[in-house]
Amino acid sequence: MTELKSDVTGSVWKIVISAGQSLQPGDTVMILESMKMEIPVIAEDGGTLVELRVVEGQSVIEGQVLAVVKE
Amino acid sequence: MTPGDVAESPSSVPDGAAMPWRAELEELEQRRAYARSLGGAAAVDKHHHQGRLTIRERIDGVVDAGSFKEVGQLTGAGRYDEQGRLLGVTLAPYVMGLAKVDGRPVAIGGEDFTVRGGTSWSGDRKKGGQGGFVEDLAHQYRIPLVNLIDGAGGSVTSIKRRGHSVFPGVHGFERSVQLMGEVPVVCAVLGTAAGGPAGRAILSHWSVMVKDTSHVFAAGPPVVERSLGQKISKEELGGPQIAVATAGTIDNMARNEAECFELIRRYLSYMPQNVWQLPPRGETSDPVDRCDDLLRSIVPENRRQPYDMRRVIRSIADADSVFEIQPTFGKAVITSLARMNGHVVGFIANNPMIYGGAMDGKAARKQTHFIELCDCFHIPLIFLVDVPGFMVGKDAEAAATLREGMRSVYVGLQATVPIYTVVVRKCYGMAGMGTTDKNGLDFKIAWPSAEWGSLPIEGGVAAAFRREIESAADPKAREAEIEAELRAAASPFRTAEAFGVEEIIDPRETRPVLCAFIEAAQARLAAHTGPKPKYGVRP
Repeated sequence: MTELKSDVTGSVWKIVISAGQSLQPGDTVMILESMKMEIPVIAEDGGTLVELRVVEGQSVIEGQVLAVVKE
Repeated sequence: MTPGDVAESPSSVPDGAAMPWRAELEELEQRRAYARSLGGAAAVDKHHHQGRLTIRERIDGVVDAGSFKEVGQLTGAGRYDEQGRLLGVTLAPYVMGLAKVDGRPVAIGGEDFTVRGGTSWSGDRKKGGQGGFVEDLAHQYRIPLVNLIDGAGGSVTSIKRRGHSVFPGVHGFERSVQLMGEVPVVCAVLGTAAGGPAGRAILSHWSVMVKDTSHVFAAGPPVVERSLGQKISKEELGGPQIAVATAGTIDNMARNEAECFELIRRYLSYMPQNVWQLPPRGETSDPVDRCDDLLRSIVPENRRQPYDMRRVIRSIADADSVFEIQPTFGKAVITSLARMNGHVVGFIANNPMIYGGAMDGKAARKQTHFIELCDCFHIPLIFLVDVPGFMVGKDAEAAATLREGMRSVYVGLQATVPIYTVVVRKCYGMAGMGTTDKNGLDFKIAWPSAEWGSLPIEGGVAAAFRREIESAADPKAREAEIEAELRAAASPFRTAEAFGVEEIIDPRETRPVLCAFIEAAQARLAAHTGPKPKYGVRP
């Protein structure tokens, strides 16, 4: 299991991949908005997205776990 | 052959009464055998079972095969019978000497954890740690120092042994500090480092620790519990997650000791032997005029979308030459040693993936250190700029972003190595100014995607034209109109007309242009070697 954490404080702008879907290495799971930028959250290793811990519009802080990926 | 061994074994000493010094030579061999056995088989086994190598294995792992010439091998406390015959030696828990890395001499040493946990030891002269022969060797011979740290520093038991308590600094950091301006100093934390050894790790140009087996802190969990009532594990208190990623106390993390040794060798490959020399030029088969088409399309036209700045660095630098320093700390800026047509350079690049590249306190601290490092060892700097300014907000102010940011600007203005500014996208405010070579050639190269100013247009229009916007029939439309008007005038080509930016290039030309100027700067770099004393007080 790999926890995808936020590198930034901001908000969830768009969720791209929903729970249960499979991921290729480098896929964008969701896009955060911070400092007027669209920051992609990328699954480096791929696998299956087993859990989403945030919803669109939600505020997030640096280091917060956004999703969990199973390799 | 074990390092420190000589080719002859005791059996090769010829028999016969005619052999002079026979007993003494045998004793020397016996004493060397004690030294090789470290803290004894049981202690070495225990150390190995914890996933850690002995100090002799570590030195072997770092240096060129067979190059280690040990100094102070016999140091320790001998145990004798009533006739004065040697029974054994409790070794001084420190192994050090002269060796080579990639054919170049280095001073190298480290605590022997299998002897009394690597705690400090006092003979007539210290071997290493803070001060000692190994630091004198690096200083006198002007060669790099590699510290392999695995010790917890002083122990209160020394009060009993000495009959008095030592004043802090009796074995001080004065030589360690002096070395910071003379030769490359690399410190690896290879166990639990607290107190003096932990402090020693910080007095380095580059430091590294190993995942799972290394911890570093001012004081360990028992002291923390006694002082603050906090129960905390070694890992939570001083593992890489805290020491490397959160605090930046240690620069890089290695996955295991073998990778750690490889990283040490790699780091040293970018360094000169001392500040009186230039870094060695590396070999490369990467063509100097290589133009990577990727650079034309990597920056999205949508200004809100970030891109992978590490790919930009890799596209510009010599193939496989990029070595990132502090990759997990202060991530809004990327600092990497690399080579351009073989010449060592330092890249400082804003990372648009982290807060759009806005410089926060940690990123500024990282940038400050990297500028000083490169300036000290005569390594030209290349800024790849995409910075909207200093990070804003209450957290950023509380983290002293303004002070850390201005310190970075100050240190940049004191640097005397050539600085090349490549504006990839945004270059705003004081953070943007800090990427330029105002006391040097002030050579700024921009990509067509570049934009700059005192502050980004979208943030400034509402405030600067408030009255005009409020009094318009359709304020929103008026604001958009003014923004469009200003954006047209803010084209980088208009600044280039005024020679306010020295050149605008096709991004794929970045490598050949930089290589040409870095090549041309070599003679001037060679003429300005030596220590770089700095005046004034850093903000």
